[in-house]
Amino acid sequence: MEILTGNELMSGATVYLDRDGHWVEGLQQARVFLKEEAEARDAAIAATKKTMRINSLEIETVTLRDGVIHPDRIRERIRAEGPTAPRFDRQHLDKDGHVSI
Amino acid sequence: MYRYDEFDAAFVRERTAQFRDQVNRRLSGEINEDQFRPLRLMNGLYLQLHAYMFRIAIPYGTLRSKQLRKLAYLARTYDRGYGHFTTRTNIQFNWPKLRDIPDMMEHLNEVEMHAIQTSGNCIRNISTDQFAGAAADEIIDPRPVAEILRQWSSLHPEFSYLPRKFKIAMIGAPSDRAAIKFHDIGLKAVTNDAGEIGWEVWVGGGLGRTPMIAKLIRGYVAHTDLLAYCEAIVRVYNRYGRRDNKFKARIKILVHEAGIDKIREEVEAEFAQTKGGVLTLPQAELDRITTYFAAPDFERVNATQIDVLREKELDPAYGDWLERNLHSHRQPGYVSVTISLKPVGGAPGDATDEQMEAIANLAENYSFDELRVTHEQNLVLPHVRVSDLREVYDTLVENGLATGNAGLITDMIACPGLDFCSLANARSIPLAQEISRKFQDPQRQRDIGDLKIKISGCINACGHHHVGHIGILGVEKKGTELYQISVGGDGTEKAAIGDILGHGFVADDVPDAIERLVETYIARRESADEPFIAAYRRLGDAPFKEALYGAQ
Amino acid sequence: MVPNSLGFAPPKPDKLRSLGIMALNGMFDEMDGVSVLRQAVTDILPDDIAIVSSFGADSSVLLHMLAQVDPTLPVYFLETGKHFPETLDYVRTLEARLGLTNVRWLRPDPKDLARFDPDGDLWETDPDSCCHIRKTEPLDGEIAQFGGWVTGRKRYQTAERGVLPHFELTGDDRIKVNPLAYFTDADVNAYKIAHGLPEHPLFAKGYKSIGCAPCTTIVAEGEDPRAGRWRGLNKKECGIHFDFNGAIAKPVAAMEKTLFKDGAFIADPFRGWAEGDDPATVRYTHIPLKMFLDNRAAVLANPHPNGLLVSPGDKVEDVAADLGRFASVAIAFPAFGDGRGYTSARLLAERYAYQGEMRAVGDVLMDQLTLMRRCGISAFVVTHPATRKALETGHLTTVNLFYQPIGTTEVPVGTRPFLRRAAERETEPA
Repeated sequence: MEILTGNELMSGATVYLDRDGHWVEGLQQARVFLKEEAEARDAAIAATKKTMRINSLEIETVTLRDGVIHPDRIRERIRAEGPTAPRFDRQHLDKDGHVSI
Repeated sequence: MYRYDEFDAAFVRERTAQFRDQVNRRLSGEINEDQFRPLRLMNGLYLQLHAYMFRIAIPYGTLRSKQLRKLAYLARTYDRGYGHFTTRTNIQFNWPKLRDIPDMMEHLNEVEMHAIQTSGNCIRNISTDQFAGAAADEIIDPRPVAEILRQWSSLHPEFSYLPRKFKIAMIGAPSDRAAIKFHDIGLKAVTNDAGEIGWEVWVGGGLGRTPMIAKLIRGYVAHTDLLAYCEAIVRVYNRYGRRDNKFKARIKILVHEAGIDKIREEVEAEFAQTKGGVLTLPQAELDRITTYFAAPDFERVNATQIDVLREKELDPAYGDWLERNLHSHRQPGYVSVTISLKPVGGAPGDATDEQMEAIANLAENYSFDELRVTHEQNLVLPHVRVSDLREVYDTLVENGLATGNAGLITDMIACPGLDFCSLANARSIPLAQEISRKFQDPQRQRDIGDLKIKISGCINACGHHHVGHIGILGVEKKGTELYQISVGGDGTEKAAIGDILGHGFVADDVPDAIERLVETYIARRESADEPFIAAYRRLGDAPFKEALYGAQ
Repeated sequence: MVPNSLGFAPPKPDKLRSLGIMALNGMFDEMDGVSVLRQAVTDILPDDIAIVSSFGADSSVLLHMLAQVDPTLPVYFLETGKHFPETLDYVRTLEARLGLTNVRWLRPDPKDLARFDPDGDLWETDPDSCCHIRKTEPLDGEIAQFGGWVTGRKRYQTAERGVLPHFELTGDDRIKVNPLAYFTDADVNAYKIAHGLPEHPLFAKGYKSIGCAPCTTIVAEGEDPRAGRWRGLNKKECGIHFDFNGAIAKPVAAMEKTLFKDGAFIADPFRGWAEGDDPATVRYTHIPLKMFLDNRAAVLANPHPNGLLVSPGDKVEDVAADLGRFASVAIAFPAFGDGRGYTSARLLAERYAYQGEMRAVGDVLMDQLTLMRRCGISAFVVTHPATRKALETGHLTTVNLFYQPIGTTEVPVGTRPFLRRAAERETEPA
């Protein structure tokens, strides 16, 4: 299973593509693409690139446990939460930071 | 210290205006990220895991108090109230917004600073000895020549798209405090047979994936010829350096593959053409720049002995600090003071805006307005009167900056690692915090003595792990962070690359493994005067291997 | 469209006449231009022949011959309105010096100018049409009066002229007389010296083939002398040398102009090297450096204007001695991040004193233009739309101050940190 993630242009904040085509802060809101949804995923990537507003666009593999999304890579877990040491809150989107496809 | 004239000021202003235009073009969609990336990188702007990271140049690690105050202001206004000092003696901010960057640059320009060439495949900030112009063992202050090299390398039209980044370090003393043998070009001040001071030139050193100790390419280059000689080296590199593989693109690989003799031949042929040309540096210009770095108006005071033992009796913490954090000064009655940014449990190299303000005040009041950044991620007050030490110390205590651990096991280098960096494979900062907690007892640190631990979160080696007496490299293996330990590295004039002794450790096991290495050293050292690195050289790796992995 | 205004019905070709003309060829010694001219003026076409002279660099030879045969013969000079002032002076100089009594200045029709070239910049966008209204049209009316023309063409000048005879019959049954057909450049110069003829004032400045000012540039050593005409424009022949049968002077198709030079996008006469090209015969082509080295003799013997393509990894040292042969050097930047071209450019400009056009080709983006310029590159082949727009609108935000002494010509204040103070002091009031 996969999700799409990237960094929003203005703030650089970590964002995820949700089920409604919005790029949002919450990992748990991310749309999970199943293996057979590769076409939809690629269409979402293409549409996102057109906005030119999401950088470092990546496909991340995740595991669903009790409906909770767990990214497979440590890197992604840290991206979702913010740095562990020194502990800081993650970057948030500004009001002009909302991107949709 | 160097002061901008109108030309320098106009230059950085134009550069800022240019970047503002580039940012606007990106925001309007006129250029895409692929086109914008190299432009922002050339201005020090990265996109990291959580946000943008903005790296500001601190040329040859020298700051005035006004400049540090400006950095504090930027931390407060555009970031989260802190900054991170790097091993390239720069500072970086981890949370700025893209649209604020041009404004931040304008603020920097106001205090004669910029972010030019703090990234990109160009000539990066030149680093040098943090005690330059103060150290007792110095034969020449390298900063005037460093400033001239800074100017020569700023937006150099021929060398803005080199095969890979290019780093120059300089040292004006026999003790190498700038790790010049691990730079693309290392310059060491030497005296020739005629008694004139010039530069010994080393080339092809570096860390990263393929660590290399630099080779001597020329024993002596006069000041007059230094720019022409450097241009010859960089031109040979630009023409022949590999561009087919990013990991083999540094000059160290070119020197390694072609051989130093072949490279010397090419550089000499090029130098023969450029020598005596427009890049000839007249003595008058060197003198002019040197006047900026003239020694401050030191008070004529008698040499003052510091009775560290007595102070230790009265106030152990102060005594310990005196013992570790002072460096001898050429001027009687003065010392250079290291301000440690390595408190127990802290993030190496981080300073809050309030700490920066406090340090700026100290520099203004006690160090002729001068400050230095060290490649080991500390700050230095270069010219402090011995009689002022107690006041300086008390202010440092008030601001949580009085850790007396310079050069000790807790004075670690650590890169930002996977907590921040998009290149990293493993975290560095939490590991440094754990190790410092493990060895937090000041007395124990003193018993161990000089020991440099350096931690990198990936093979790019920003944490200089190859030259740590104990080096730690974070890797990712099957979704977990693993740490390889190496021993015996040395970044000084006795340059050595550490030996990896065996398989890696999970993070939780690293502090214990370090402790076993330390215990082995203490058990096997000839006396308390034999430091860790000397004992390792004498004993070889066998006892340390056994300490880590048990008897074979 | 420019109207076809040929003002006469073309006469039918006469076979006997054409055979007679062919027989004339070979009657005269190759170098005996005066006899050729005398034959034409007195025997073949008495009072029915004229001459069109450009009053260019080597026009004096033919006019000197003419003065010996018949100084009253009509001599047409096309005052296009675009000539160098030196050329106009030279017309008067030769007129007086040779005693020519019938020099007629032909000017373009003001109505044509108003209609087709109101701003006087047609040469820039459509040189063929410019020639048409300023040369062909004015001449067409005159040409109908005469049965023949004297020209100054020489067979060595360009490849198309390799078989030029003394006498030609044109498609509209007129006779063209070429007294200088066998003259070489050296012969022309020797003749000028032998008869003490005045030089065109621009000849000494490096102009070998002089036409209208906008379309004439200096010719590099070893280049085809006519390479300087229409340089930068996709054009090689002047309309008036073609047969006047209506086939000439079609406006060039509006081609996309990607070459930015001297502040404007202009038509590019050069093309890139293509598979199957022959180094001995290509023209206006950037020959890859390695191809040149492998075929050096052939390229040096090739009479056409050509350029050199320098790619990353090429050693410009290897061609240092032959640089004068090339009217243009293209520095390839296959990706903007490959900076080897900057070194190549500096070496060419500074170490090997290359004087011709140096252009950047490949991934040419606005943020690198200043760096390229400083390294000696003066022309840019631009395909990136945003870069094109920036150049067209002049909206190019860049750093114009620099520290390093780079380049060969001007050293602006500030380039050398060590000269800066001295320069500033000089500008201070005493």
